Amino acid sequence: MKDIIERVKKISNAEVSIRKDNLIFVDTSRERLISVLYDMKLLGFNQLSIMSAVDRLEDGEFEIFYVLYNYKEKVNAVVRSRIDRENAEIETAEKIYPPAHTYEREITEMFGIKVIGNSDSGKPFILENWKDKPPMRKDFDSVGYVNMHYEFRHSADEETEGKNE
Amino acid sequence: MDKMTEEQYRAISNMLRKRSLWMLHYCTGCGAMELPPTMTSRYDMERFGIVPYVTPRQADILLVTGYVNIKTLRRIVTVYEQMLDPKYVIGFGSCPINGGVYWDSYSVIKRLDKYIPVDLYIAGCMPRPEAIITAFRYLMDLIDKGKADGYKRYKENLEFYKANQRKVLG
Repeated sequence: MKDIIERVKKISNAEVSIRKDNLIFVDTSRERLISVLYDMKLLGFNQLSIMSAVDRLEDGEFEIFYVLYNYKEKVNAVVRSRIDRENAEIETAEKIYPPAHTYEREITEMFGIKVIGNSDSGKPFILENWKDKPPMRKDFDSVGYVNMHYEFRHSADEETEGKNE
Repeated sequence: MDKMTEEQYRAISNMLRKRSLWMLHYCTGCGAMELPPTMTSRYDMERFGIVPYVTPRQADILLVTGYVNIKTLRRIVTVYEQMLDPKYVIGFGSCPINGGVYWDSYSVIKRLDKYIPVDLYIAGCMPRPEAIITAFRYLMDLIDKGKADGYKRYKENLEFYKANQRKVLG
Protein backbone atom coordinates (compact mmCIF):
# COMPACT_ATOMS: atom_id res chain seq x y z
CA MET A 1 0.00 0.00 0.00
CA LYS A 2 1.25 3.40 -0.85
CA ASP A 3 2.52 5.70 1.82
CA ILE A 4 0.23 8.51 0.68
CA ILE A 5 -2.86 6.45 1.55
CA GLU A 6 -1.56 5.97 5.08
CA ARG A 7 -1.16 9.71 5.38
CA VAL A 8 -4.69 10.35 4.06
CA LYS A 9 -6.02 7.97 6.73
CA LYS A 10 -4.60 10.23 9.43
CA ILE A 11 -6.87 13.15 8.43
CA SER A 12 -9.32 13.59 11.28
CA ASN A 13 -13.08 13.02 10.87
CA ALA A 14 -12.67 11.28 7.54
CA GLU A 15 -13.43 7.65 6.68
CA VAL A 16 -11.11 6.28 4.03
CA SER A 17 -12.07 3.29 1.91
CA ILE A 18 -9.67 1.85 -0.64
CA ARG A 19 -11.18 0.78 -3.95
CA LYS A 20 -7.99 0.15 -5.92
CA ASP A 21 -4.27 0.80 -5.61
CA ASN A 22 -4.72 4.26 -7.03
CA LEU A 23 -8.32 5.09 -6.11
CA ILE A 24 -9.52 5.99 -2.62
CA PHE A 25 -12.79 7.33 -1.29
CA VAL A 26 -12.82 9.81 1.58
CA ASP A 27 -16.20 10.25 3.29
CA THR A 28 -16.72 13.16 5.60
CA SER A 29 -19.42 15.37 7.05
CA ARG A 30 -20.67 18.63 5.60
CA GLU A 31 -19.04 20.70 8.36
CA ARG A 32 -15.60 19.11 7.87
CA LEU A 33 -15.70 19.13 4.06
CA ILE A 34 -13.63 22.26 3.45
CA SER A 35 -10.98 21.40 6.01
CA VAL A 36 -10.62 17.87 4.61
CA LEU A 37 -10.17 19.36 1.13
CA TYR A 38 -7.51 21.69 2.56
CA ASP A 39 -5.68 18.76 4.17
CA MET A 40 -5.86 16.84 0.91
CA LYS A 41 -4.29 19.75 -0.94
CA LEU A 42 -1.46 19.87 1.60
CA LEU A 43 -0.86 16.16 0.90
CA GLY A 44 -0.27 16.93 -2.77
CA PHE A 45 -3.72 16.43 -4.34
CA ASN A 46 -3.27 19.48 -6.51
CA GLN A 47 -5.82 18.93 -9.24
CA LEU A 48 -9.59 19.16 -8.95
CA SER A 49 -10.66 16.95 -11.85
CA ILE A 50 -14.40 17.36 -11.40
CA MET A 51 -16.85 18.31 -8.74
CA SER A 52 -20.54 17.57 -8.90
CA ALA A 53 -23.55 16.31 -6.99
CA VAL A 54 -25.78 13.24 -6.99
CA ASP A 55 -29.43 13.39 -6.01
CA ARG A 56 -30.14 10.58 -3.51
CA LEU A 57 -33.89 11.05 -3.55
CA GLU A 58 -34.74 7.97 -1.46
CA ASP A 59 -32.44 9.15 1.37
CA GLY A 60 -33.58 12.77 1.11
CA GLU A 61 -29.98 13.86 0.63
CA PHE A 62 -27.57 15.26 -1.93
CA GLU A 63 -24.15 13.69 -2.28
CA ILE A 64 -21.42 16.21 -3.10
CA PHE A 65 -18.21 14.79 -4.47
CA TYR A 66 -14.82 16.20 -5.45
CA VAL A 67 -12.48 14.09 -7.59
CA LEU A 68 -8.87 14.99 -6.82
CA TYR A 69 -5.63 13.81 -8.36
CA ASN A 70 -2.12 13.62 -7.02
CA TYR A 71 0.40 13.97 -9.85
CA LYS A 72 3.39 12.93 -7.81
CA GLU A 73 1.95 9.72 -6.34
CA LYS A 74 -0.51 9.10 -9.21
CA VAL A 75 -3.47 8.54 -6.90
CA ASN A 76 -7.10 9.55 -7.43
CA ALA A 77 -9.12 10.54 -4.39
CA VAL A 78 -12.87 11.14 -4.21
CA VAL A 79 -13.97 13.33 -1.31
CA ARG A 80 -17.66 12.77 -0.62
CA SER A 81 -20.19 14.29 1.68
CA ARG A 82 -23.94 14.07 2.22
CA ILE A 83 -26.11 17.14 2.78
CA ASP A 84 -29.80 17.58 3.43
CA ARG A 85 -32.05 17.94 0.43
CA GLU A 86 -34.15 20.66 2.08
CA ASN A 87 -32.39 24.06 2.06
CA ALA A 88 -29.25 22.50 0.61
CA GLU A 89 -26.17 24.62 1.20
CA ILE A 90 -22.42 24.06 0.96
CA GLU A 91 -19.40 26.29 1.50
CA THR A 92 -17.31 27.29 -1.47
CA ALA A 93 -14.02 25.53 -2.21
CA GLU A 94 -12.78 28.15 -4.66
CA LYS A 95 -10.12 29.46 -2.23
CA ILE A 96 -8.52 25.99 -2.20
CA TYR A 97 -9.28 24.89 -5.77
CA PRO A 98 -10.02 27.89 -8.06
CA PRO A 99 -11.70 25.75 -10.79
CA ALA A 100 -14.42 24.93 -8.27
CA HIS A 101 -15.87 28.38 -8.94
CA THR A 102 -17.39 27.29 -12.27
CA TYR A 103 -18.45 23.85 -11.04
CA GLU A 104 -20.26 25.44 -8.13
CA ARG A 105 -22.21 27.73 -10.44
CA GLU A 106 -23.28 24.67 -12.44
CA ILE A 107 -24.34 22.84 -9.27
CA THR A 108 -26.40 25.83 -8.16
CA GLU A 109 -28.22 25.96 -11.46
CA MET A 110 -28.71 22.25 -12.10
CA PHE A 111 -29.45 21.06 -8.53
CA GLY A 112 -30.51 24.19 -6.68
CA ILE A 113 -27.77 23.80 -4.06
CA LYS A 114 -26.80 27.19 -2.66
CA VAL A 115 -23.06 27.84 -2.42
CA ILE A 116 -22.02 30.18 0.39
CA GLY A 117 -19.10 32.43 -0.46
CA ASN A 118 -19.24 32.04 -4.24
CA SER A 119 -20.02 35.49 -5.59
CA ASP A 120 -21.51 34.20 -8.87
CA SER A 121 -23.65 31.46 -7.36
CA GLY A 122 -27.22 31.94 -8.53
CA LYS A 123 -26.42 34.03 -11.59
CA PRO A 124 -27.69 32.66 -14.92
CA PHE A 125 -25.11 30.24 -16.32
CA ILE A 126 -26.20 27.54 -18.79
CA LEU A 127 -29.98 27.53 -18.80
CA GLU A 128 -31.65 30.57 -20.30
CA ASN A 129 -34.83 31.95 -18.76
CA TRP A 130 -35.33 28.92 -16.56
CA LYS A 131 -38.32 29.27 -14.26
CA ASP A 132 -39.02 25.63 -13.34
CA LYS A 133 -37.47 23.30 -10.76
CA PRO A 134 -33.71 22.67 -11.25
CA PRO A 135 -33.63 20.04 -14.00
CA MET A 136 -31.08 17.60 -12.55
CA ARG A 137 -33.18 16.91 -9.45
CA LYS A 138 -34.67 13.43 -9.60
CA ASP A 139 -38.21 14.67 -8.91
CA PHE A 140 -38.10 17.02 -11.91
CA ASP A 141 -40.67 15.69 -14.41
CA SER A 142 -38.88 15.92 -17.74
CA VAL A 143 -41.70 14.45 -19.85
CA GLY A 144 -44.23 16.71 -18.17
CA TYR A 145 -42.07 19.74 -18.86
CA VAL A 146 -41.68 18.69 -22.50
CA ASN A 147 -45.44 18.18 -22.94
CA MET A 148 -46.08 21.62 -21.47
CA HIS A 149 -43.52 23.54 -23.54
CA TYR A 150 -43.02 21.74 -26.86
CA GLU A 151 -45.22 20.26 -29.55
CA PHE A 152 -44.64 16.80 -30.91
CA ARG A 153 -45.07 15.70 -34.48
CA HIS A 154 -47.80 13.12 -34.07
CA SER A 155 -48.11 11.52 -37.49
CA ALA A 156 -46.38 11.65 -40.81
CA ASP A 157 -49.43 12.79 -42.80
CA GLU A 158 -50.18 15.64 -40.45
CA GLU A 159 -50.17 18.98 -42.18
CA THR A 160 -46.76 20.52 -41.59
CA GLU A 161 -45.24 23.88 -42.28
CA GLY A 162 -42.33 22.32 -44.11
CA LYS A 163 -42.24 19.71 -46.80
CA ASN A 164 -41.13 16.20 -46.08
CA GLU A 165 -39.05 14.20 -48.42
CA MET B 1 -35.38 42.30 -72.16
CA ASP B 2 -38.46 44.51 -72.07
CA LYS B 3 -40.68 41.82 -73.48
CA MET B 4 -39.54 39.25 -71.02
CA THR B 5 -42.33 38.58 -68.61
CA GLU B 6 -41.84 38.28 -64.91
CA GLU B 7 -42.38 34.54 -65.01
CA GLN B 8 -39.76 33.96 -67.63
CA TYR B 9 -37.33 36.06 -65.65
CA ARG B 10 -38.09 34.03 -62.52
CA ALA B 11 -37.64 30.74 -64.39
CA ILE B 12 -34.23 31.76 -65.66
CA SER B 13 -33.08 33.06 -62.30
CA ASN B 14 -34.25 29.86 -60.59
CA MET B 15 -32.36 27.79 -63.14
CA LEU B 16 -29.20 29.78 -62.47
CA ARG B 17 -29.67 29.82 -58.70
CA LYS B 18 -29.85 26.05 -58.37
CA ARG B 19 -26.43 25.65 -59.96
CA SER B 20 -24.64 27.75 -57.38
CA LEU B 21 -25.71 26.95 -53.84
CA TRP B 22 -23.50 28.20 -51.07
CA MET B 23 -23.94 26.34 -47.84
CA LEU B 24 -23.46 28.01 -44.49
CA HIS B 25 -20.85 26.09 -42.54
CA TYR B 26 -22.64 26.39 -39.21
CA CYS B 27 -22.71 23.01 -37.54
CA THR B 28 -25.10 22.67 -34.64
CA GLY B 29 -25.08 19.00 -33.67
CA CYS B 30 -23.44 15.67 -34.30
CA GLY B 31 -24.51 15.66 -37.98
CA ALA B 32 -21.52 17.83 -38.77
CA MET B 33 -19.51 14.59 -38.75
CA GLU B 34 -20.97 13.58 -42.11
CA LEU B 35 -20.09 16.86 -43.81
CA PRO B 36 -16.29 16.57 -44.18
CA PRO B 37 -16.53 13.44 -46.40
CA THR B 38 -19.31 15.12 -48.36
CA MET B 39 -17.26 18.25 -48.91
CA THR B 40 -13.94 16.63 -49.66
CA SER B 41 -12.71 14.45 -52.49
CA ARG B 42 -14.54 11.19 -51.60
CA TYR B 43 -18.03 12.50 -52.43
CA ASP B 44 -17.05 15.97 -53.65
CA MET B 45 -20.21 18.04 -53.54
CA GLU B 46 -18.45 20.88 -55.34
CA ARG B 47 -19.20 19.12 -58.62
CA PHE B 48 -22.84 20.14 -58.04
CA GLY B 49 -21.85 23.73 -57.35
CA ILE B 50 -22.30 23.49 -53.58
CA VAL B 51 -19.59 25.22 -51.61
CA PRO B 52 -19.27 25.54 -47.83
CA TYR B 53 -19.12 29.14 -46.80
CA VAL B 54 -18.49 30.83 -43.49
CA THR B 55 -20.67 33.94 -43.32
CA PRO B 56 -24.47 33.96 -43.28
CA ARG B 57 -24.62 37.10 -45.45
CA GLN B 58 -23.31 35.30 -48.51
CA ALA B 59 -24.84 31.87 -48.01
CA ASP B 60 -27.99 30.34 -49.54
CA ILE B 61 -28.47 27.16 -47.52
CA LEU B 62 -28.69 26.83 -43.76
CA LEU B 63 -28.04 23.22 -42.84
CA VAL B 64 -29.30 22.43 -39.34
CA THR B 65 -27.22 19.37 -38.55
CA GLY B 66 -28.65 17.53 -35.57
CA TYR B 67 -30.44 18.36 -32.37
CA VAL B 68 -31.45 21.95 -31.69
CA ASN B 69 -31.59 23.01 -28.07
CA ILE B 70 -32.94 26.31 -26.84
CA LYS B 71 -29.55 27.99 -26.71
CA THR B 72 -28.81 26.92 -30.28
CA LEU B 73 -32.26 27.91 -31.53
CA ARG B 74 -31.69 31.49 -30.47
CA ARG B 75 -28.52 31.60 -32.60
CA ILE B 76 -30.15 29.75 -35.50
CA VAL B 77 -32.95 32.31 -35.68
CA THR B 78 -30.39 35.15 -35.60
CA VAL B 79 -28.32 33.52 -38.33
CA TYR B 80 -31.41 32.76 -40.43
CA GLU B 81 -32.58 36.35 -40.27
CA GLN B 82 -29.13 37.60 -41.26
CA MET B 83 -29.16 35.58 -44.48
CA LEU B 84 -30.29 37.29 -47.66
CA ASP B 85 -33.16 36.10 -49.86
CA PRO B 86 -33.43 33.58 -51.39
CA LYS B 87 -32.49 31.27 -48.54
CA TYR B 88 -33.22 27.61 -47.94
CA VAL B 89 -33.21 25.51 -44.77
CA ILE B 90 -32.46 21.79 -44.65
CA GLY B 91 -33.29 19.86 -41.47
CA PHE B 92 -30.65 17.18 -41.19
CA GLY B 93 -31.12 13.92 -39.27
CA SER B 94 -34.02 12.76 -37.17
CA CYS B 95 -33.63 15.27 -34.32
CA PRO B 96 -35.00 18.38 -36.10
CA ILE B 97 -37.92 16.27 -37.38
CA ASN B 98 -39.33 14.96 -34.08
CA GLY B 99 -36.65 15.28 -31.39
CA GLY B 100 -35.01 11.93 -32.13
CA VAL B 101 -33.43 10.30 -29.09
CA TYR B 102 -33.89 13.56 -27.19
CA TRP B 103 -37.68 13.29 -27.29
CA ASP B 104 -37.98 13.69 -23.49
CA SER B 105 -35.17 16.21 -22.99
CA TYR B 106 -36.14 19.48 -21.34
CA SER B 107 -33.76 21.55 -23.46
CA VAL B 108 -34.21 20.20 -27.00
CA ILE B 109 -36.98 21.44 -29.28
CA LYS B 110 -39.03 18.79 -31.03
CA ARG B 111 -40.04 20.34 -34.34
CA LEU B 112 -37.80 22.76 -36.17
CA ASP B 113 -40.52 23.80 -38.63
CA LYS B 114 -42.45 25.50 -35.85
CA TYR B 115 -39.69 28.09 -35.45
CA ILE B 116 -38.16 28.60 -38.89
CA PRO B 117 -39.52 27.38 -42.25
CA VAL B 118 -37.85 24.17 -43.41
CA ASP B 119 -37.71 23.40 -47.11
CA LEU B 120 -36.47 19.85 -46.85
CA TYR B 121 -35.81 17.19 -44.27
CA ILE B 122 -33.26 14.40 -44.51
CA ALA B 123 -34.30 11.47 -42.30
CA GLY B 124 -31.79 9.16 -40.68
CA CYS B 125 -29.43 8.99 -37.75
CA MET B 126 -27.04 9.84 -39.31
CA PRO B 127 -27.79 10.30 -43.02
CA ARG B 128 -24.99 9.02 -45.22
CA PRO B 129 -23.17 11.41 -47.58
CA GLU B 130 -25.14 9.84 -50.45
CA ALA B 131 -28.37 10.90 -48.74
CA ILE B 132 -27.05 14.44 -48.33
CA ILE B 133 -26.18 14.68 -52.00
CA THR B 134 -29.58 13.21 -52.97
CA ALA B 135 -31.23 15.85 -50.79
CA PHE B 136 -29.24 18.61 -52.45
CA ARG B 137 -30.29 17.33 -55.87
CA TYR B 138 -33.90 17.24 -54.69
CA LEU B 139 -33.56 20.79 -53.38
CA MET B 140 -32.24 21.84 -56.77
CA ASP B 141 -35.39 20.41 -58.39
CA LEU B 142 -37.55 22.26 -55.90
CA ILE B 143 -35.73 25.52 -56.63
CA ASP B 144 -36.06 24.92 -60.36
CA LYS B 145 -39.82 24.47 -60.02
CA GLY B 146 -40.06 27.45 -57.67
CA LYS B 147 -41.37 25.29 -54.81
CA ALA B 148 -38.60 25.99 -52.30
CA ASP B 149 -40.39 29.05 -50.94
CA GLY B 150 -39.53 28.87 -47.23
CA TYR B 151 -38.29 32.45 -47.08
CA LYS B 152 -41.59 33.68 -48.54
CA ARG B 153 -43.56 31.64 -45.99
CA TYR B 154 -41.43 33.16 -43.23
CA LYS B 155 -42.44 36.65 -44.33
CA GLU B 156 -46.13 35.76 -44.77
CA ASN B 157 -46.45 33.87 -41.47
CA LEU B 158 -44.05 35.99 -39.44
CA GLU B 159 -46.49 36.33 -36.54
CA PHE B 160 -46.88 32.53 -36.31
CA TYR B 161 -43.13 31.89 -36.24
CA LYS B 162 -42.39 34.77 -33.86
CA ALA B 163 -45.10 33.62 -31.44
CA ASN B 164 -43.64 30.11 -31.38
CA GLN B 165 -40.11 31.47 -30.89
CA ARG B 166 -41.25 33.70 -28.04
CA LYS B 167 -42.93 30.73 -26.37
CA VAL B 168 -39.66 28.82 -25.91
CA LEU B 169 -37.09 31.61 -25.93
CA GLY B 170 -38.94 33.96 -23.61
